[in-house]
Amino acid sequence: MIEIKNIVKSYGTRKNKFQILKNISAEISGGDFVVILGASGSGKSTFLNVISGLERPDSGTVHYGSTDITALSDAELTAFRRETVGFIFQQYYLLPNMTVEKNVRMGADLSGNRDYLSIIDAVGLHDRRKKYPSELSGGEQQRVAVARALAKRPKVLFLDEPTGALDEETGRQVLDYICRLQKEYGFTIVMVTHNANIAEMANTVFKMNSGRIENIYRNETQKNAYEIGW
Amino acid sequence: MIIEFRDCIRLFGISVIVCLAVFVCTIFLNYNLDITAAEEQIAPEGRVIYEALVMTGKAVAAVSGGCLAATSLVMLLGYIRSFIDARAKELGVLKALGYSAPAISRRFLVFGAAVLAGAVPGLFFAYCYMPAFYARQNETGLLPDIRIRFHPELSAALTLLPAALFALLSMLYALSLLKKPPLQLLGKTGESRPAPRRRTGTDRPFLKELKRSTLRDQKLFAFLIGFSAFCFSSMTQMSMSMKDLSSESFSGMILTIGLLLAFLTLFLSLTGVVKANSKPIAMLKVFGYSRAECSRAILGCYRPVALAGFALGSVYQYVLLRLTVTCIFADYEGIPEFQFSLRALSISLAAFIPVYELIMHGYAGQISRMSPKSIMLE
Repeated sequence: MIEIKNIVKSYGTRKNKFQILKNISAEISGGDFVVILGASGSGKSTFLNVISGLERPDSGTVHYGSTDITALSDAELTAFRRETVGFIFQQYYLLPNMTVEKNVRMGADLSGNRDYLSIIDAVGLHDRRKKYPSELSGGEQQRVAVARALAKRPKVLFLDEPTGALDEETGRQVLDYICRLQKEYGFTIVMVTHNANIAEMANTVFKMNSGRIENIYRNETQKNAYEIGW
Repeated sequence: MIIEFRDCIRLFGISVIVCLAVFVCTIFLNYNLDITAAEEQIAPEGRVIYEALVMTGKAVAAVSGGCLAATSLVMLLGYIRSFIDARAKELGVLKALGYSAPAISRRFLVFGAAVLAGAVPGLFFAYCYMPAFYARQNETGLLPDIRIRFHPELSAALTLLPAALFALLSMLYALSLLKKPPLQLLGKTGESRPAPRRRTGTDRPFLKELKRSTLRDQKLFAFLIGFSAFCFSSMTQMSMSMKDLSSESFSGMILTIGLLLAFLTLFLSLTGVVKANSKPIAMLKVFGYSRAECSRAILGCYRPVALAGFALGSVYQYVLLRLTVTCIFADYEGIPEFQFSLRALSISLAAFIPVYELIMHGYAGQISRMSPKSIMLE
């Protein structure tokens, strides 16, 4: 369970200070598929960064069970990220001079996971495991990023616009892999998107606007990646 | 704008290196020109010392000035290359916007200005120090007073020529880079980074593999770091060994210049290493790799290179000084052979290791302060 209380986050200096997150509170249950939905500039990515421990809020708390990650030191926060969370970004951020296999080992070695090849197989890249990122398509690169994030066996997977740089077919394929893997491994998903159609895949949706959660709703039925519009 | 304010600080490093090289070269070359011109005034009893001074002057100018000039040249060329390479994306944007290749590459003429900004003070300081230097060279009083003369052709050769050379080289390198299509410069096509031919080992742990690939793919930085250790080793040992060949003040000068050069090279190359690896470092941090693991993987791979550079510098200074001494005293009997100084090596190594580790520690701190989010927004 992730318990978020009164998060405030601003950017800029005194004169040009701009509040991005305005006193946000929410709860995320273990095993949930949460989508943070909002337009560009609504604060959704900053919210994701704060609850995942990538950024510190100005005030407020983020509890993972009994641990308040906002009170952790830098070294403790690093250890927290190592043990608890995985990340997938819009721009993949793969290491260009490493093969698919080595990129996935980046995550696997952190958790001592020796079975990383099965995750490469699970995202359908078995034949491409000796290739370098420059030899892969955008969709394949994002699947490597998925495998890399999951290879460290995270309890919570954070995704920031994971299909933002992909075409419809590839985007659906990547989302489908993520959902299938969630069912298999049982991790929590927190995904940021501006695409309202993708929100139909989640069981809980946080709709954000101007730095606040405008609405929280639960979908009665979760659609799969091939049932949603694009 | 391709050259920003923070770049000016690094360009200042280039100016300092050029200043030192011009300072040393001007003093010795000017002295040689002046003493050669005064040959007719030399009394027969001062003839031997005159010839020895001319030869020593030439040798020292060749060894120190030449070594310094060559060092500066290699280092500056390496730095300019990495500086321009790091701006490939900006070049791509400007090219895509429709700026012509000559218009874009002209911006890199600024390197010529940086060289000139270092060369002119170097020349000035050399002439300021020259009276003391001339007096010290004639401490025996056997030579007539050598008048300091200004040699415009020498000054031009040491200031305008290198400035023009570096400006031209920078521009030509930028032009060669601009031959690539804009998308390739922007890194949007696979062509900009051809897939490495060497395949990675399957069972090697990720961090070990990262260490190897960092070294393999960033050879220029490896060269510059090895080179800075080379400078440190050769210049410090040379300054200690040169006490017998020239004055103590000159040894001190060589030591100061050698250390400055070594630290500037190390500073410029390590800054480049951290900047070039900022994205992998950010991802390592996002995934939860600790500060020690990040710096071991990114900076630790250069330690063997630095030690190899140090060893090479030791051999180089010994060979160079031995050859010089053999040439100068070829006609004199009973001159003992120039010996390798283990004492100089020990002192130099004892100074190098903690200094190197301290600098690396400083850069490891810089890595730990890097915010993953700000890097990802770049």
